[in-house]
Amino acid sequence: MKASYFGQMGYSDRSTFPPTWPTPPGYTDSKTSVQSYQDGMEECEFAEEMSFDWISFSEHHYSGRIPTGTPSVMAAAVAERCKRVTIALLGHLLPLNNPVRIAEEVALLDNITNGRVVAGFLRGTPNEDQVYSVNPAEGRGRLLEGMDLILKALTEPQPFSWEGRYYQFRTVAVWPRPVQRPLPPVIVGTRSDDTIRYAAEHRLGLGVSFLPVEQTEVITDKYRAWCEEAGWTPGPDNIVYRGSIYVAETDELAREWFEGLQKTRPGPNIPLRRTVSEAIQSARAGTDFDLRGLVAGSPEGDVVGNSLGINFLGGPDTVAKQIKEFHDRCGVGVIDLPFQQNMVDHRGVLKELEVFGKNVIPQIREF
Amino acid sequence: MAFQEKQVEADGFSIRYWEAGQGRPVVMLDRTGYRGTLLHDALAEQYRVICLELPGTGDSPANAVSKSVGDLAATIAKAADAITTERYTLIGTSFGAHVALWQAIQSPDQVEALILVSSTAIHPQEVPVGASAKDIHKLMFAHPENAEKQAPLPAEIFAKESELVGRLTSGDHDAEVEARLGDIHCPTLAVFGQEDRLVSHEAPRVYREKIPNCNIALVYDAGHCIVGDRPEALRNTVLDYAEHWETFIVGHQTGVINP
Repeated sequence: MKASYFGQMGYSDRSTFPPTWPTPPGYTDSKTSVQSYQDGMEECEFAEEMSFDWISFSEHHYSGRIPTGTPSVMAAAVAERCKRVTIALLGHLLPLNNPVRIAEEVALLDNITNGRVVAGFLRGTPNEDQVYSVNPAEGRGRLLEGMDLILKALTEPQPFSWEGRYYQFRTVAVWPRPVQRPLPPVIVGTRSDDTIRYAAEHRLGLGVSFLPVEQTEVITDKYRAWCEEAGWTPGPDNIVYRGSIYVAETDELAREWFEGLQKTRPGPNIPLRRTVSEAIQSARAGTDFDLRGLVAGSPEGDVVGNSLGINFLGGPDTVAKQIKEFHDRCGVGVIDLPFQQNMVDHRGVLKELEVFGKNVIPQIREF
Repeated sequence: MAFQEKQVEADGFSIRYWEAGQGRPVVMLDRTGYRGTLLHDALAEQYRVICLELPGTGDSPANAVSKSVGDLAATIAKAADAITTERYTLIGTSFGAHVALWQAIQSPDQVEALILVSSTAIHPQEVPVGASAKDIHKLMFAHPENAEKQAPLPAEIFAKESELVGRLTSGDHDAEVEARLGDIHCPTLAVFGQEDRLVSHEAPRVYREKIPNCNIALVYDAGHCIVGDRPEALRNTVLDYAEHWETFIVGHQTGVINP
């Protein structure tokens, strides 16, 4: 089994943010911001030193919690510091972007890293739909067409035109071509049946994030079954799970940290005004949305979002066992880990990376 | 869309208003009354639009009665209450937005949503001393050719309105209304032209920071008179917000090229 360090590049004073999304850019202090990226890149270098196999980056917008709106830029910077690890883009929010541009970024990164890139595509969390004014009702269609277009753009040796439902390009001819042929490994981040099936039918990998093991297992079971139907068996690198982590030297120390975290009453991870959240969810689901009815029954200023939870928590042996469960039940071959939790500063992350690298990675290598 | 001229009594004023359309009420406060813009017509296709002439503006008699902007807002609230008993979306433009702010603060049960267009309440720019109606008219547009398409206010109306606005505001920043922006709890949109020369560019963020549920919309290549420079952009922004309130940030338009 492989370990991946999720390069969140979080703004170090993120605990001061208000419980809203987007976070007003006025909260950014340049000196703190510059140092935060330096700290983040140092964490990536140390992760490589601690034998992590991948370093991953995600596209997220309008907040300092994961301030990498253009993950390819971040990946390029880290790739120049970390010469061994796989550079994983997990991933681009395809409905928001020009697919040809994403194909160009993936191909360029694969060249400057000499074939160390993994590409990842997903729809994104509901808040992300608003960033570039994409209609949430069309996100799935854009994701599916965008993936088709990117796969074609990365593999087609001759210029072609694309007459899509959402995209129209009269000439596509991506330069450079990727180093990895026919194309770099691709992970599709999803929980939805149609996209899981797409990944299986196109022999692409699957990424699942933050769900408990029993829910993840339902998804990976479908994926593996549909891969078999499509005539192939996914390998260990094809199933990636991203889960939050806090690892300490002992279970007791990890519990103490978690109890302290609970006392701080952290706000939701992606806090949206309730009306906005419901509007997006309704659009995604194709159901009616009664704004005025919702407002009448909603406390003013109410925000909703995922409550903060930790997927992997404990000392090295406990965390290794928790990860093993994902491996054994879900076939997960790559575990992608965000270490920048609330109440964990840069030094704390480095300490955890050391504990994980020395005491957990040797165990999960055996899975 | 044909607007009908009517009158309503409030605080001893006989206030003219223009009405068209059906549906949820939208009350509009324009400094110079109804002018039949794209925005008015588009709103009237979906809503019952009520455009009130502020006492002391347009063709109304000079207003020496109102003692403050809040006082004027109270009069307008009474007028609106006499016309509709339903909660309404309140749209104010320029000085009308200043009045609308006070109305939203003083009459929260009436105002369902608030849309401020080029509001002069917060950080207005200093107008050159002795500026004529023609001078101000030019300042209101990002492009001279747009200013030329519309006539400046007649001198007597300009003088009357300037006297009223000057007496009620002294042309200054309204610190009192700024201190009470946190009392506005309805969904609020503050729209400004990027080239507005009558309001400081610092103003929009004040609304966003201090009104609990406020969005800012900046209209590119438009001056203070957005409806003169970019009428379609103003119409679409206001219509979208009037329908969706704060969820107008969620994309509603289709991106399908070919089904």
